Amino acid sequence: MLTFGKLTNSQDKGAPFSPMKHIFKIISLLAAISAFWVGLLQASIIPRTHTWLLPIYLVVSLGCYGLLMVGVGLMQFPTCPQEAVLLQQDIAEAKGFLKDKGVDVGSD
Amino acid sequence: MELADRAVGLLLSLISLSIFTYFTFWVIILPFVDNGHFVHQYFLPLEYAIIIPVFAGVALLSLLSLFVGSVMLKSRKKNKKA
Repeated sequence: MLTFGKLTNSQDKGAPFSPMKHIFKIISLLAAISAFWVGLLQASIIPRTHTWLLPIYLVVSLGCYGLLMVGVGLMQFPTCPQEAVLLQQDIAEAKGFLKDKGVDVGSD
Repeated sequence: MELADRAVGLLLSLISLSIFTYFTFWVIILPFVDNGHFVHQYFLPLEYAIIIPVFAGVALLSLLSLFVGSVMLKSRKKNKKA
């Protein structure tokens, strides 16, 4: 996924969290891409219609990449069946304990 | 269930990969192919390569804003009652 992991482990001195550096990177990347695109428009190597297609193609490919990451993450998600059973046991135990103490635990 | 999750994930990845390859072929490779080649009949004219994504994007944005607006209205109604 397009993780923002760099945000969390770049500053580990206890300094306050600064989200601005990541924004600057994104903006500079966008500026570089648009400069390249405007340069392509001016140079007229490729016919005009195809140059107009380039940003749309980039956006569509970005959307496809996001969808692909979601699908891959879904496929690799670990379900931990043993932990699920243990969790159910814990829940039943806690419910029994609270019911003894008189707390209303609600329906299941 | 684990199997249903994996099936949905596989379906999503396949859909995204097919859309990506079709669109890449359409926009990048096809302009360089001669006009008489038989492959051209499998692809719509190039204007549709702009119309369809823009239309889909506009539809997505409007659906999102409708959803956000309806949620905001519902929460305001609940706040007024309570």
